Amino acid sequence: MRNAPDHISIHGARLSRRGFLGTGGALVVALGITPELARATGSASLNAAQPASWIEIHADNTFHLRTGKGDFGQSSIYTAYRQIVAEELSVPVAAITTVISGDTDRTPDGGGTFGLLRNASGNVRKVAAYTREAVLELAAQRFGVPRSAVSVADGVISGGGQQARYGDIVAGQDLRLAIPVSGTLTSFFGLVVTGEPPLKKVADYTIIGQPVMNPIIRPKVSGETVWVGDVKLPGMLHARVIHPATLGSRLIAPGKLDAAQFPSARLVRVGNLLAVVAADEWQAVQAAMAVAADTKWSEWKGLPGSDKLAEHLRGKVDWSVVPATRSAASKGDVATVKAAKSHNASYFVPYFKHAPIGPTVSLADVKADGTVTVHTHTQNAQYLRMAIAKMLGKGEEAVVIRTYPGPGHFGRSNGGNAGSEDEAVLLSRALGVPVRVQWMRADDMQWSTQSSPMVSDIRIGLDEAGVIHSYEATHSGPPMQDDRPIGALLAGLPTIDPPGPGNPSPIHTAKISIADLWVYGAVAHVSETGRGTDQIGMRESPIGVGLRDHSMRTPIQFQQNFPREMAISEAAALAGKDALRFRIEHTDDPRVRAVLERLAVEADWDARPSPSPKARASGEAVVRGRGVSLMLRDSGYWACAAHIAVVPATGEVKVERMTLVVDPGLVVNPLQLRRQAQAGLLMGVSEALHEEVSFDEGAITSSDWYTYPILTMAEAPEVKVVLAPLAGAQGYGQGSESANALAAPAIAGAFLDATGKPARRLPLRPDYVKAMLAS
Amino acid sequence: MTTITINGEKREVQASSDTPLLYVLRGELQVMTPKFGCGLAQCGACSVLLDGEEIRACITPISALEGKEVTTVDGLPARWARQKGLPANPARLHPVQQAWVDEQVPQCGICQFGMMIKVTELLEHNAKPSDDDINAALTTSGPSPHLCRCASYAAIREGVHRAAKLIAGGAA
Repeated sequence: MRNAPDHISIHGARLSRRGFLGTGGALVVALGITPELARATGSASLNAAQPASWIEIHADNTFHLRTGKGDFGQSSIYTAYRQIVAEELSVPVAAITTVISGDTDRTPDGGGTFGLLRNASGNVRKVAAYTREAVLELAAQRFGVPRSAVSVADGVISGGGQQARYGDIVAGQDLRLAIPVSGTLTSFFGLVVTGEPPLKKVADYTIIGQPVMNPIIRPKVSGETVWVGDVKLPGMLHARVIHPATLGSRLIAPGKLDAAQFPSARLVRVGNLLAVVAADEWQAVQAAMAVAADTKWSEWKGLPGSDKLAEHLRGKVDWSVVPATRSAASKGDVATVKAAKSHNASYFVPYFKHAPIGPTVSLADVKADGTVTVHTHTQNAQYLRMAIAKMLGKGEEAVVIRTYPGPGHFGRSNGGNAGSEDEAVLLSRALGVPVRVQWMRADDMQWSTQSSPMVSDIRIGLDEAGVIHSYEATHSGPPMQDDRPIGALLAGLPTIDPPGPGNPSPIHTAKISIADLWVYGAVAHVSETGRGTDQIGMRESPIGVGLRDHSMRTPIQFQQNFPREMAISEAAALAGKDALRFRIEHTDDPRVRAVLERLAVEADWDARPSPSPKARASGEAVVRGRGVSLMLRDSGYWACAAHIAVVPATGEVKVERMTLVVDPGLVVNPLQLRRQAQAGLLMGVSEALHEEVSFDEGAITSSDWYTYPILTMAEAPEVKVVLAPLAGAQGYGQGSESANALAAPAIAGAFLDATGKPARRLPLRPDYVKAMLAS
Repeated sequence: MTTITINGEKREVQASSDTPLLYVLRGELQVMTPKFGCGLAQCGACSVLLDGEEIRACITPISALEGKEVTTVDGLPARWARQKGLPANPARLHPVQQAWVDEQVPQCGICQFGMMIKVTELLEHNAKPSDDDINAALTTSGPSPHLCRCASYAAIREGVHRAAKLIAGGAA
């Protein structure tokens, strides 16, 4: 090999040789030193001895991929990300043997686990492209040919009649490729890879589009995987937190801990944070129950109660405090339109719970030297690191977050905190030993964040031909971005500020944007307004808590799409037109039209106006109906049909079959996308039929699976998922996030078809259904 | 001191006899596949087989286990090998586990330990269950439905049918 210069520029990345090694050898893709990063190095616990590289190439032709994102059941970081990287490198997927994710001291980029294909995949794709270019440059040097004469296919690099593999190029060397990045590691969005390395042409793809199996499933089903709740440390104590009686209560007097009955248990108090710890977990559980029964909290009433929530949002909130927003699709002048017929209605989506099957659990180890390690299951480990450091008044370099598989919670910890991490840290600091905090089922239902509610007022004007002339919607509700950890609030320690108009953070302004992208481009006059407010009860709560909200699958768009799509179905009925054809009539986007036309075929849709000729709102006999819904999210086009049966006398709604058609753009992995979309759709059926957080004037009263029921196997309808990507799509489009949002408006439309009565609120549980039918 | 049989092995347990099995498995015996979900027998994440019948470990005191055998997901491969008279081979999964891999059933996977236990019980009694049989097994047959928040129910249904085929085909 001829001598190469010490540094080579690779499309703006910097390739350097740090030395030659006798054996082994690697190329490590590390952070580039940018001005932003130079400032951030104080908080970027990147140990030079163990670089948090994106991609490592080893001499044995294996690759490691590291990402700050996590896995919550989507599989993307183990399937799609490996495919994206393998594609850019032109190596087999199996060569990427290891994916290291989440851990703040072992991954490079940070940022939340959301939009994994929409935007976060851009980092790994660009990193892979830089890496390929660097290795091909080195290969050109080795082969003694110009770079333009070198190419790679199926892991074999060729040029000038010579061949080598990636591992051959890095063997015996210690190579480092520093790539340019922007952003702040511990910010909500993390680091973003910059520059424009040449990307492989979509037409040349051989790996993207393949049904790659998820490699973490086998160790999960065999029992080898270490889950977050399985982590143990020597000397660890088990804690159960005794949370306050209400969302605004202060601790007056802790209950007595009976030392004779619970000899190993101790009571710990930090402000209003009260916990029992014990070496034996069952003893901690029992002791905490005994102490809780005897603990005195101040009384507080500052919530409207879930039965009056819609009324509260409609009449008792000052919506002028937070600046209103307007959608980009707004056009024309809805005020001047004279309609032949008009539809005017108000809709309501309640609070939902993320409701992971396993309540949140984490383990913290605060050492005497002040360093903190938290073992947890978070979607945004670097942001959690920031929050823990802020709570403790420490530099971020003192905090390490390690992540593990855990129960899916669908967005709850995108703000870092799933609940319990901060409590574990405070208890470990107080006791000087590692502390594991396992929330019980009720803690998780009552003290985690939730998906925020929304009321939507919609007015649709039709002309004489039954065509929508004007559409006007106002969506009002609290935002889903309360990133304040509950333990820190109870302990009275620093957090970032709650969402509010004075919060300088762009994602914490409490504004409600219009997240539901407009798809009815043929409508002449459109006005969409979003109105935000404080977290409900937060200002009234003496401890500043109230009902804290955090993003849940299809955040805010779910809340806006349900009313829009139901209103469109009602407008179609008013026009005497078929709900699916009516949607096609009002779109000017061929991709919208294509998914709807395909849906009509796949769902065996019988085109006719709603209600059904057999519709009835009373009686013991079953009535049936079908409804349709539509959503555009992240360049993914979704259309759904629901077929349902209703027993008017009992208010029972049974969903019989669901059909979903999606054009997500380029499909990275059809096997995983289909599974994710199936399940997401069924989660949406769960939300539509069952889910609503109940609360009284002080506390959340949903506490278990009886008071917050979710879908069961026997209720799961037949599901058909059709992947219908646009031919020639260039973008990866979208994962499956939207699937859950399609169910509720399709089911509500089917309910209108079956009964002749509109369903303008969720869930469609018997007591609400009977009220709807009686109206 | 209580002696209980877990996955074919007699284990001595220090915990008091009123301690729920789940805490003994996870805390004392390092058998980690049964998961804590609710502590109320409402979700099925902690399910184990007790002499072949599914029970909820979170509410079952170890005093109820005298002379009986507990099987967890860790013990399914050995249970299958014993039933089929096959040599022990830790790399060979139980057909239900194998079907869960083949059909890519789990998403987050936390509920699937209980699901696989319940489905093993079902298939040991009913070699070719219908969808209605599957619905009944996972919804109404026990103290509560087996819940999946990811709502992987369609995949589970396909997984059960695949497992039944593997068993009928003499999966080895």
